[in-house]
Amino acid sequence: MALPAEQAALATSAAPAQPLLCFDGVGIHLGGREILSPTSFEVTRGEFVCIVGPSGCGKTTLLRAATGLVRCSAGQVRRHGRPVTQPSREVAFVFQDYGRALLPWRTVQGNVGLALEAAGVAAPKRPARIAAVLDKVGLGAHAHKFPAQLSGGMQQRVQIARCLAQQPELLMMDEPFGALDALTRHSLQDEVARLVQHEGLTVLFVTHDLEEAIYLGDRVIALQSNPGPGRPSLARTIEVPIPRPRDQLTTKEHSDFLRLRRELFAFIEQGH
Amino acid sequence: MWRRLRPWWFPLGLLLLLELHLRSLAAGSDSLAPPIAALRAFAGAARDGSLWQATLFTLGAAASGLAVAAALAIPLGITLGLSPRASRLSALSIELLRPIPSVALIPLAMLVFGFGLRMETSVVAFASFWPMLILTRAAVSQVEPRLLEVSQVLALSPWQRGLKIVLPAIVPRLFVALRLGVAVSLVVAVTVEIAANPNGMGYAMMIAQQSLDPALMLAWLGWIGVVGYAINLAALMLQQRVARAMGAAE
Repeated sequence: MALPAEQAALATSAAPAQPLLCFDGVGIHLGGREILSPTSFEVTRGEFVCIVGPSGCGKTTLLRAATGLVRCSAGQVRRHGRPVTQPSREVAFVFQDYGRALLPWRTVQGNVGLALEAAGVAAPKRPARIAAVLDKVGLGAHAHKFPAQLSGGMQQRVQIARCLAQQPELLMMDEPFGALDALTRHSLQDEVARLVQHEGLTVLFVTHDLEEAIYLGDRVIALQSNPGPGRPSLARTIEVPIPRPRDQLTTKEHSDFLRLRRELFAFIEQGH
Repeated sequence: MWRRLRPWWFPLGLLLLLELHLRSLAAGSDSLAPPIAALRAFAGAARDGSLWQATLFTLGAAASGLAVAAALAIPLGITLGLSPRASRLSALSIELLRPIPSVALIPLAMLVFGFGLRMETSVVAFASFWPMLILTRAAVSQVEPRLLEVSQVLALSPWQRGLKIVLPAIVPRLFVALRLGVAVSLVVAVTVEIAANPNGMGYAMMIAQQSLDPALMLAWLGWIGVVGYAINLAALMLQQRVARAMGAAE
């Protein structure tokens, strides 16, 4: 008979062995068209995985399938070994169009509170948790504003705060910074990297920006569109061995960064 | 000041012409009365209390009918708007029932409820139910789909989704539906009173006509117009205020 403490120790030591998320031959047809050809890969706990590829290659669809928003036509996505069939509060999703993903009639704290209401957190406990999450994303001073009164970057912060309030283990981000200007994008990249490391989150991050993928990811997965019959959408996996914490200037001058950037650009240019 | 009075010139001029006509060429008419005589009859009805009693009855019947219709139409409209399958299955029933003229329901309502408030309420409810159902359903189908996805990824229960996402999102449009319901309910209430129910403003107008009192009849007609105008204006102002408060003035 193992003691509970020993069991816990066993569980944590065994954790890296079992992948958090497993894509097992995931293929998706929508409206009679093949969006994603059977693709397999695994995501381990605490990993930051970026997915890149040309538009229409199915990267957003892959993310939605992993969340349970889209049904797989072939294969399955397993989280902790169990097939994903519907969304779970363990998995948070950051949409690209923050303007549409926030409730315009609720203030910033009301929007963040929605996640707590969904999770059934008692009303008296909510304000403290909302305040804590808003502080993490630097919106502490804007709790009573409405989304329409905020800039795009701040609206996206609200959405990220709502996702953090869910206390998920997995964070799905669908081109979260695609609609933001370069400066805002850089500061949000750094903040997300910091938050993810601090909270110990596992992240699946879809982007069409190759530099962003290398800068943020532990691993970059490149998808190709129309891979041809019988071939997977997954075209290439690149490990990113650049140490953390990373920073916009030194990391982007890092020899590994430049090498991977060249490699990935060359690969995408080939017409994949 | 003068500019704001300008819309009044035409109706006042018409009334003046009518007054002159009935005092000169058509003096002693049995079918029409000069406006000033109607005004005098109106003052009489206001003094003896019959005006207020009948007005309250009609407004009460219209309001309770509207309340019943809203209580049924809004939840049902939300359900149909959220479920394409339910919407498809109910489409035929709705399209068959909706065109029935509400007045054609009076015999049935009279058999079931007899004379009185309940009969009138039921016919008003039937009439205002359909436009509110259709508008609510349309409003729900226009809710931002991304918000419904947010409710999905947050794993909100259907009840929470309706209460926290859909209902607030459609409030401005619900008040448009309510304003249309108000207009319909008042028209139908008066119609029911004219056709069948011995209460309210419509009946009072019928009695005046049957007792060959054109002045009183015209007084009621004018008063029904004024009440209808005031109620619709109030509903419109309420709708605009809600739309502004919800930040969706379009």
